[in-house]
Amino acid sequence: MLKINGLISGYGSVQILNGANMKVDAQSIVALLGGNGTGKSTILKACSGLIRSWSGSINFDGEDIHNNPPHKIVERGLVQVTQGKDVFPAMSVIENLRLGGFVLNSKQKLEDNLEKVFNYFPRLNERKNQLAATLSGGELQMLCIGRGLMSNPKMIMLDEPSAALAPQIVLDIFKNINRIRKDGLTVLVVEQNVRMALLLADYGYVIKDGVIKVEGDSKKLMYDDTVKDSYLGGGGTTANV
Amino acid sequence: MFKTFKFTRKVENILMLIFTAIFLIYISLSPDMNIDSLKGVLIIGVTVGIIYGLVAVGISLIYTGLDVVNFSHGEFFMIGAFTGLTVYNFLVDGELIYAIFPEAYGVVGYVIGLFFAFVLMGLFGVLIERVFLRPLTKKGGGYTVAGMGIIICGFGLSVILQNVAYIIWNPTAHPFHADLGLPINIAGITLPMTYLWMLVTGFVVAGALYFFLNKTKMGLGVRAVAFSKDISNLVGINVPLYISIIFGIACALAGIAGTLVGPTYQVVVYMGYIILLKAFASAVVGGFGSLPGAIVGGFTVGLFETACSFFISGSHKDAYAFLLMVVVLLIKPTGFFGVQVKMKA
Repeated sequence: MLKINGLISGYGSVQILNGANMKVDAQSIVALLGGNGTGKSTILKACSGLIRSWSGSINFDGEDIHNNPPHKIVERGLVQVTQGKDVFPAMSVIENLRLGGFVLNSKQKLEDNLEKVFNYFPRLNERKNQLAATLSGGELQMLCIGRGLMSNPKMIMLDEPSAALAPQIVLDIFKNINRIRKDGLTVLVVEQNVRMALLLADYGYVIKDGVIKVEGDSKKLMYDDTVKDSYLGGGGTTANV
Repeated sequence: MFKTFKFTRKVENILMLIFTAIFLIYISLSPDMNIDSLKGVLIIGVTVGIIYGLVAVGISLIYTGLDVVNFSHGEFFMIGAFTGLTVYNFLVDGELIYAIFPEAYGVVGYVIGLFFAFVLMGLFGVLIERVFLRPLTKKGGGYTVAGMGIIICGFGLSVILQNVAYIIWNPTAHPFHADLGLPINIAGITLPMTYLWMLVTGFVVAGALYFFLNKTKMGLGVRAVAFSKDISNLVGINVPLYISIIFGIACALAGIAGTLVGPTYQVVVYMGYIILLKAFASAVVGGFGSLPGAIVGGFTVGLFETACSFFISGSHKDAYAFLLMVVVLLIKPTGFFGVQVKMKA
């Protein structure tokens, strides 16, 4: 579905990614793990066109999307879902969701997708006329994921869906991510919560200093000592959960 | 050490009320005070206010959408007035409009003038944004970080546009004789038709803008881009296109306001300067960056200015708007609506 080859990118003149290679198969959940400042989010931003990639290639669904404008990438079906704080606080929940379906041309499709999102997250239906600013942290994350689903994407990229949330809510959201995959979407999830992410994912990548250092089956990665020690901060990984 | 001193919201509101009360008592003691003059001040104040509001909405739209305080906005107002005047004169000098509308040729010509001022200024705004502002901001790293430089460029653009208007329409004052009919009588006040047109058209345009922003898909996109360009990118909005649309709408509003004001005074190359400052005062009073705030601020400034120049002294008319701005900045620095909805936690 998504193939990244030798991706080099960064902010301004600061290079963050030093040739990252990744592959995400259709209808799988892939976890991208790493500590702070290793380039996880940079990969997502380069894929969704928010920052320019300096060299390398990004291939999505058989087409080269490298340095396409962001709205074209969303139209192609690749959507990035940022952390829960990135909503429009002065708009109601339903307006936020409608914005998610901005690239859709027919009203009918928009209503169908709203139905679908409310099916995943009934909580949003209860609060659809509230301002987004009044939602709790977990509800905001649901809103962000729901907004991402509104444009009928083929693949969504989640940027730390568990950040700053209570474990119970994280579990709930991860269950929903699994449901989304079962309904035919491909998911790339960037996480610091290593244990949870690997439980959810089929395959994992560990990034450090802008390159992929370890990759493999998620069950294998979970018990890989080099992963624990070298890249995820030793014994801290389990404490993360 | 100085402690930073800040009023709480409640104290702010009480102080504003006290200021309003003192002001009202002061003008009610004026010898000119009677019910007719009060009615007149109200009508004229609201009429002038909606014009300030329309220009201030443009300034606020550009501020939220482009992160630029557009100091050349008054020039779009001025060129809009000239556009309306030129279109009107062209139509009224010809034979065709008399043949089709022998009775109401002035009204028809004026409406077409308003329409052209709106559309042409919108397109002109898009052109200016694309060929002037965008390359400049690109060099500075994009709209959000271009900063002070682009504000100075706004002054430069203002001078350039004034000189362009100077070349096209020459520096003399042009009278705008819009033949809109005899003055009418509203509640005992004789009101020239030009003021009635300002009042009605101003409210219609403000209402249309409200409808556009809140009920259409494009308006939703405009509001999204005004709040955050990054999130707008992620939901698939064509952000560069919407920035042009925002600038175009703001300039179209200034253009139609210019054509509305033109017949009440005269059309001069320098007319943009004072309206820019007054609209700026309106935007600050209402809360900078807030669109309802800009309209409310426009009414406040319009009413205050008209009341002061009628009841206190007409010779300092242009100073009152800034007096009000200073008072509001001292008492309530955020303006009336200057509170953004913040995220919890």
